[in-house]
Amino acid sequence: MIEVRGLRKEYGAFVAVEDSSFTVDRGEVFGIIGPNGAGKTTTLKSLAGLLEPTEGSVEVSGEPADARETRRRLGFLPEESPLYEEMTAVSYLEFFADLYDVPDDVATTRIHDALDRLELEHRRRAIGDMSKGMKRKVAIARSLVNDPDVLVYDEPASGLDPLTTNYIIEFTKELAAEGRTIVFSAHNLYHVEEVCDRVAIMNEGRIVAEGALGDLRDRYGATEYRVFTTVEVPGASAEGDRYRRVVESMADVESVRKAAVENGGAIDDIRTVEPTLEGLFLDLADSEGRGHSDSEATEA
Amino acid sequence: MRPKTLLRIARWEATKGFGGLDRGAVAVGVAAVAFVLAVGVVGVVGGVAIEDGIYRVGVEEDSDLYGPVADDPAFAAVEPNPEAIDGGGLAAGGRYDLYVEDRPGGARLYLAESGGEPTEKSRAALAALRGSIDRYNDRRLSAEDNASAAFPVTVTVRYVERGGSEVVAAGDAGDASGADDGDSTTDGGAGGTDGSSGGGATGSDGGTTGTDTETTQGATGGDTEGPIGAPSLGAFDLFGTAGTTGTPSDIQPPFPFQSLVLAFLFVLPLNFLIQAYGSSMLSERLGRRGELLLVAPVGRADIVFGKTLPYAAASVSITVAIVAGLRLLGGEAGLLSVLAVAPLTLLFLATTFLGSLFARSFKELTFVTVTITTLLTTYAFVPAIFAETSAVAFVSPLTLAIKDLTGTAVTPGQFAFALGPPTLVGAICFFFGLGLYREEDLFTQRAIQHKALDALAERIRRPRSVAAVVVLLVPFVFVAELFAVALLFALPVAVSIPLVFAVIAVIEELAKGLPIYAGFAHDRYGRTLPVSLAVGAAAGIGFFLAEKLTLAVQLVGLPGSPVADAAFQTGFGAPTPGVIALLAFAPLALHVATSTVTAAGASRGRSTFVLGLCSAVLVHVAYNAAVVSRVV
Repeated sequence: MIEVRGLRKEYGAFVAVEDSSFTVDRGEVFGIIGPNGAGKTTTLKSLAGLLEPTEGSVEVSGEPADARETRRRLGFLPEESPLYEEMTAVSYLEFFADLYDVPDDVATTRIHDALDRLELEHRRRAIGDMSKGMKRKVAIARSLVNDPDVLVYDEPASGLDPLTTNYIIEFTKELAAEGRTIVFSAHNLYHVEEVCDRVAIMNEGRIVAEGALGDLRDRYGATEYRVFTTVEVPGASAEGDRYRRVVESMADVESVRKAAVENGGAIDDIRTVEPTLEGLFLDLADSEGRGHSDSEATEA
Repeated sequence: MRPKTLLRIARWEATKGFGGLDRGAVAVGVAAVAFVLAVGVVGVVGGVAIEDGIYRVGVEEDSDLYGPVADDPAFAAVEPNPEAIDGGGLAAGGRYDLYVEDRPGGARLYLAESGGEPTEKSRAALAALRGSIDRYNDRRLSAEDNASAAFPVTVTVRYVERGGSEVVAAGDAGDASGADDGDSTTDGGAGGTDGSSGGGATGSDGGTTGTDTETTQGATGGDTEGPIGAPSLGAFDLFGTAGTTGTPSDIQPPFPFQSLVLAFLFVLPLNFLIQAYGSSMLSERLGRRGELLLVAPVGRADIVFGKTLPYAAASVSITVAIVAGLRLLGGEAGLLSVLAVAPLTLLFLATTFLGSLFARSFKELTFVTVTITTLLTTYAFVPAIFAETSAVAFVSPLTLAIKDLTGTAVTPGQFAFALGPPTLVGAICFFFGLGLYREEDLFTQRAIQHKALDALAERIRRPRSVAAVVVLLVPFVFVAELFAVALLFALPVAVSIPLVFAVIAVIEELAKGLPIYAGFAHDRYGRTLPVSLAVGAAAGIGFFLAEKLTLAVQLVGLPGSPVADAAFQTGFGAPTPGVIALLAFAPLALHVATSTVTAAGASRGRSTFVLGLCSAVLVHVAYNAAVVSRVV
């Protein structure tokens, strides 16, 4: 559905994105995460046809992202909500429906359906008089007026209160459940874990890791086992009336058990700690940063 | 570009604010516009009357001076009280500024005095009264049935263009001016000859007894206008100067003051329109509002021209309304005025569009629009002042409007020369501006020089496309060189000629060098010597071919200006084959050589580009000094 190959985007001497490649299958929700300046927004804008790649290609269903027909079936939600604040929500959405050649009757139904689903009131109020959350809902409704197959959402819940944020994340899940292909970026990694099937982690313009969340955990994140014993064992630290040792494999757990038995004790408790996306992200970003400063080998 | 999409965007641009306007705001807006229009119409038709009744004159109704006082709104006739002059003087601060005492055989005037001296106001009142008496007498004489008795001497004034080839024979008794065609009534001696000369402002009175009484209504030859210098506007006489008679002191040079004032009506709305247009364009950029239009399945041209169309339509509508208004008031305005304003509209909007793409804030936009207003209004008006005296006036489209207002015909060449350049420059501004209408330039705070290079590089795909971009820059070169000529022509030739050689060299080398550098900076072609040669040759050839457009100057000519000759080589006299060959190939060789030097520098980086450009300018100046100075 979406294929990004060797994407490179330069702004003068600054390289925003370098040699990035990934694919997104139809109906998949793909997340892009990374720190500020990692190249997420540049990648998403290239997907939306807003930016012409310096090198590489971005295709949607085999067509260039900036082709008119591609844009017709794509809904883009930028990080900010750049709305025409002098217009009302309905007139604003009608205008964009018109630009996408949506017949008037279909547009009317679609607009009110979207606003109903988003629970947006005061539809005839000037957008400038709306709250930030309401404006975001109008922006999301605008991304749907053309009933797109592909949605490209850049930080859809950025800067909103928790209630609206949660609402928008749930709404995005609904859109995913409808079979739309969604490319999604967020600072809040919890949102990405909530919504995305696969993720790409970007840092300094490059994709440093990409895959399904489980795969990433397997590949980059070690599951921790916190073993609590009744007696002291080598490497353990006292924690109340028990001793705790953290290991990374079941074989190590077995070694701890043997050591405890030899000392006349036993294992009291074992807790498994799965790696979080945030932990993965921080580890990868940190190792990438060190890699860039320490050696070329990490980049390769 | 798709007309349907364009019209959708135009409709949206024109109506998007309606949803946010309440009825009260609309009512206030309409009332404000109506008020401004009403004040404007009253001001234009009725004139301003701030001086009405400022001088109080004590005068009897049966006095000979009552008429001039009563007919002049500056005076207020006050019932005279002889006690006011009991002491032999008129005290200041009383009821009168002037006092008329009728006596047998004449009238005596008293001026209000203070400290034994007439007050300043009473002296001004006296001066005004003298003028009023003159005008009153003229009006009475004009109303005489027997015009030859009232005006026994007829002088026909005929203006000819400066530098024209017409030979004027003083004292020519012919009727080239049509002076004898009037319905004369002969009063007095017979056998007199028409005293009007056949032409020339020095027309002499050819006979002492002749009493040809033609009334010199209108121009009598060529492009001349009213009888006393000011252009005739037919039945519509804004300043009341279209009288048919006057004294010799009323004869003035042909300065189209009335036409200019009326023409100003056409340009004035443009200055307001571009404020709204520039704001609309910039507000698309600030806050990234226009980003979503770029994502929509519409082209850049659809967006830009859709947003521009309402403003262009408003301008045309306003022009048509003004023309209709002038016609209702008896003026001569018509289609030519509308056509004259159209390229000005295009130019105002195009430059504002380009400026709004470079401005990074509303503060900068204000600077841009003020600059555009000043420059383009100057461009439109200053040449038009000379509409009656110099062909150079046709540099401005407004000259066509003035010709239209005065009912004077224009030739197709004048029409094309007046409308062609602004139309071309406007179109090219939009063309380059469209290259900047993209995410990377619209929504970033890129420096102006980078955006300028982006605009040029957007149109370059390979070495030979540099030629096309250079060709498109030639109208700007032409305008810049005209500016240079306008600024320098007043200086002594010994100073202005070397200066103009240098300025022209800088302008032309920049026009060739910048696209070359933009192509290298945006990696449109490789940084190799063969590519540099190819790019340099393309730029040089392109410039050489387009430069020949400047020959259009010769269609109207800049007669007698050595600076213009130096800039455009218009004054060769009778060129020899050698000169023709020199002028055909030497500039080609020059432009190719200098742009190749620039390209070689640009291929290596910015500092070497500057070095190459400076070298090219030096070579160009040397060429101008060595070759051009010999042929002009």
